[in-house]
Amino acid sequence: MTGSALLGGGLLAAGLTGCGGAAQAAAVQDIGFWHLLSGGDGIKMQAMINAANQANPGFKVHPTVLAWGPPYYTKLAMASAGGRPPEVAIMHASRVPGYAPGGLIEPWDLDLLAENGVTSADFAPRIWEKSQHNGQVFSIALDSHPFVMFYNTDVAGKAGVLGSNGQLQEVSSPDEFKAMALEMQKVTKAHGLSFGYLGSGSQMWRLFYTLYKQHGVDMELTPGQPMKVDREAAVESLEFMASLFDDTIAAQAGDISTGIAEFARGGSGMLFSGVWELPTMKKAGIPVDAATIPTLYGTPASYADSHSFVLPRQLKLNEDKRRDVYKFVTDVLKGSLSWAEAGHIPGYQPVVQSQAYRELTPQIHYANAADIIAYDPESWFSGSGSDWQTYFAENVQNVLLGRDKAAAGWDAFEQRTNTLLSRPNPV
Amino acid sequence: MAIPTLTRPAPSTTTGNSLKIRQPRRKLTVGRIAAIVVAAVIAVLWLIPFAWATATAFKTETDAAAPDVTWLPPSGFTPEAFVKVFQDGNIPLWTWNSLYTSAAITAITLVISALVAYALSRIDFKGKKVLMTVIIASIIIPPPVLIIPLFYQMLALNLIDTSWAIILPQVIHPAMVFVLKKFFDQIPRELEEAAVMDGASRLRIFTQIILPLSRPILAAVAIFVFIGAWNNFLWPFIATNDGNLLTLPVGLQTIKSAYGIQYAQNMASALLAALPLIVVFLFFQRQIIKGVATTGLAGT
Amino acid sequence: MSTSTLSRPRPETLRKPTSRTRSNLSGWGFAAPFLVFFLVFLVWPILYGFYMSLTGKSLTGANDSLIGFANYAEALADADMWRSLGNTLYFTVISTVPLVLVALIMAALLNIGLPAQWLWRLSYFAPYLLASTVVSLFFTWMYNPQLGLINEFLTGIGLPRVAWLNDPNVAMWAIVIATLWWTVGFNFLLYLAAMQNIPAQHYEAASLDGAGAWRQFFSITLPQLTPTTVMIVLLQILASLKIFDQVYQMTAGGPGGSTRPVVQYIFETGFTGYRLGYSAAISYIFFGLIVVISVMQFVITRRRSA
Repeated sequence: MTGSALLGGGLLAAGLTGCGGAAQAAAVQDIGFWHLLSGGDGIKMQAMINAANQANPGFKVHPTVLAWGPPYYTKLAMASAGGRPPEVAIMHASRVPGYAPGGLIEPWDLDLLAENGVTSADFAPRIWEKSQHNGQVFSIALDSHPFVMFYNTDVAGKAGVLGSNGQLQEVSSPDEFKAMALEMQKVTKAHGLSFGYLGSGSQMWRLFYTLYKQHGVDMELTPGQPMKVDREAAVESLEFMASLFDDTIAAQAGDISTGIAEFARGGSGMLFSGVWELPTMKKAGIPVDAATIPTLYGTPASYADSHSFVLPRQLKLNEDKRRDVYKFVTDVLKGSLSWAEAGHIPGYQPVVQSQAYRELTPQIHYANAADIIAYDPESWFSGSGSDWQTYFAENVQNVLLGRDKAAAGWDAFEQRTNTLLSRPNPV
Repeated sequence: MAIPTLTRPAPSTTTGNSLKIRQPRRKLTVGRIAAIVVAAVIAVLWLIPFAWATATAFKTETDAAAPDVTWLPPSGFTPEAFVKVFQDGNIPLWTWNSLYTSAAITAITLVISALVAYALSRIDFKGKKVLMTVIIASIIIPPPVLIIPLFYQMLALNLIDTSWAIILPQVIHPAMVFVLKKFFDQIPRELEEAAVMDGASRLRIFTQIILPLSRPILAAVAIFVFIGAWNNFLWPFIATNDGNLLTLPVGLQTIKSAYGIQYAQNMASALLAALPLIVVFLFFQRQIIKGVATTGLAGT
Repeated sequence: MSTSTLSRPRPETLRKPTSRTRSNLSGWGFAAPFLVFFLVFLVWPILYGFYMSLTGKSLTGANDSLIGFANYAEALADADMWRSLGNTLYFTVISTVPLVLVALIMAALLNIGLPAQWLWRLSYFAPYLLASTVVSLFFTWMYNPQLGLINEFLTGIGLPRVAWLNDPNVAMWAIVIATLWWTVGFNFLLYLAAMQNIPAQHYEAASLDGAGAWRQFFSITLPQLTPTTVMIVLLQILASLKIFDQVYQMTAGGPGGSTRPVVQYIFETGFTGYRLGYSAAISYIFFGLIVVISVMQFVITRRRSA
């Protein structure tokens, strides 16, 4: 930040935000943009922002990056309640049910979107469905980012589990999967699978929910009622997960970065991870490919969420800025091939169907995830980066560490959820 | 309370003291050597966090994240983390925000607190006892109880995300009113009597007689309030979301994951944030220590 | 406590009624600026906060109606609330002892009269000037399981690594250590000041009687410091109960809610969970606790000086 920023900060602080904009139509509009993308994602997002700024001299988007997790969503809610939020923000699609009903975000104008060249036909059905609430569109998906399985083709080849197409063999049951992991372990002499979860409820949840949904069952969270869940499927999924951490198939305990580091240096043959780790994998230089997590319980399912653009509620709406936001968002969507390079599956179908995207490996090998997406159960308190996922960790971490029985851990979590559901709905 | 001795000057007020160390005949006994050693060990322990942060901040990012943890980095020391932080971050902006909000808070607090303290000390007015009781009672109120209604109030006044939201609630320091009043109580009334008889107004007496005599306590209060305002986290965290308005402690909190896991830069940012008050402390050690000790007794 | 009525007859005795009005006017005039802020930003929020606690008010503005004491009933039955209170009390107990003892030791050492006073004072007190975020950054880095200085030291002497901020059994201690480093300087100063005020005569007399340094410390210094110790302990307890910053910044209340203090729970219920009304109720329960302890402090110090 330069000296002018210091002065600007002082002026802004005196309450003169946005300076009587209408009279200065020729001036460059400042668009505030909040997101929670950091690391490799952050760099790619910044590049997309820069590209949009360059292409549109009429406005300048100023991003603010906030910490991923409950703090981001809390601040966004507080800013929207306070009436001076950024003009546009990124939100996980799974969190929208906590904001839309209470009026903290505003719906998108489909006509204005169409003017900028984006319509509902440009999105995969499940994703478009998720964007809506009460018949209105509240979020525009930039991507879907599923939880997938990366594998080391070298290790897999030596373990003899590669199919004829050079990709991993299909396995369709928990035992088959474990057998495959054990084969890989013999090659690496360390572990067959990497999965770090310590301290991260989100990480545990992603794998769990994939397995749960593979049972072909649903989970419903309706305020005022107990959680609707298939307990057997839930406990079975947890038991399976716990059985993986026996220090042969996978390390007994490690956090996310430890797991990634292990896989990246060839200490295992498979890694369960979000697609956003793809750049790290490529940088590590190992021969990596990817696929959706094998269907172990019959129904293909892939946990995923979407980074989506939302319009926080403005106390005083600046029409010009609002229009600029539409232009910015649609520009980013159209240029989201670079976002795909970060591992995500773009939400904008024209990019997904383009030749350039089809040539991206391993992205193309898991692009089918968009068709089998399992979004989080909807409620005001669930979703990515929610406290609910933290509660999951509180009850399930000990199960995965082998200190607690799966049934006990699940029941405790279910009880906690039911307590939440019994409380008055604040949105 | 204190009896003047040959070795120490008498304290000038009951709340202040010189913090001078008595210097009796100094024999280098085993006891003294042991004491120096223990004090030194503790001092080293206490300086380690600073030292380690500094060592990390001057490493390259790769060295800082290297599995081999060392004090001396293989690639040598480099200021690149600091450069990056300046380029990408907002430390100067946040420092400025902290500076002017803390200055405003200190100035306003001093003015309003001194005024009411003088009234409580010198003027006999109806309802004074009640006012005094209410002010003293309010010392008990813990700030966390106020955050919810204050947030809502700022929301209603449309002041969230303005610097007024940061400044206004922080100028209320009932404990400081009490401290100031106690000090004023000790100023001999004779000094004002003459002015009163000359028909001078209360305000003139206040500004021309009382205030000049109160420099030490005003400085002490100013220091205490300034440090408190500068380092305050909870309320500014709640009152502002806009990146341009963040004060240093709050802004620093946001960098933790914006940079991913960049240890050297994190430490560089932390050191830059720590710098202002530490530098001030190096220059004004005596005053700051005295001010904090004096006023800290009354405040919490 | 002194009053401000002049004890000598004033020349304006004849004009007493008018001067009384003038006194009232000037008195309230001086108090007015403070009072404006006080009423608007302290008294009003306290009262309104209580009102909010009787509603189900949400961050989105919904649920504005009065629901009586339902929030309080819910809070008293809320396991998480009790848990956070328990965490807060646990923290208070385990942190107060070192914060007092270490400060005492530091002050005692300096009181002997060591060379380079400024160096010790700087080292012990400088951390107090740091913002909580700086302290949290320093310590989170030092506590890093793989790359942190502390674990490096432990493995260096053959001990196993500790997951400082990730192990529920250890996390609170990690916070205590960081807090100790951060704030002990303040107590140290108070002790030092109090020790300075112990008259030299006492020590001289004891030396003449043949008492050694240790004996003098335990028989003279400590007893003389009792009022200070009581005050420091009580101040420390009140400060510890309000803890939020460093916990929120280092562990966010984790792992598994094992470090979440009550102030953080208030923050989360209100701002993350949107339930401002319920959160206000919890904060008033907390307020009640503080009042009880403050009153106890008042009674204890009264009794001592009586």
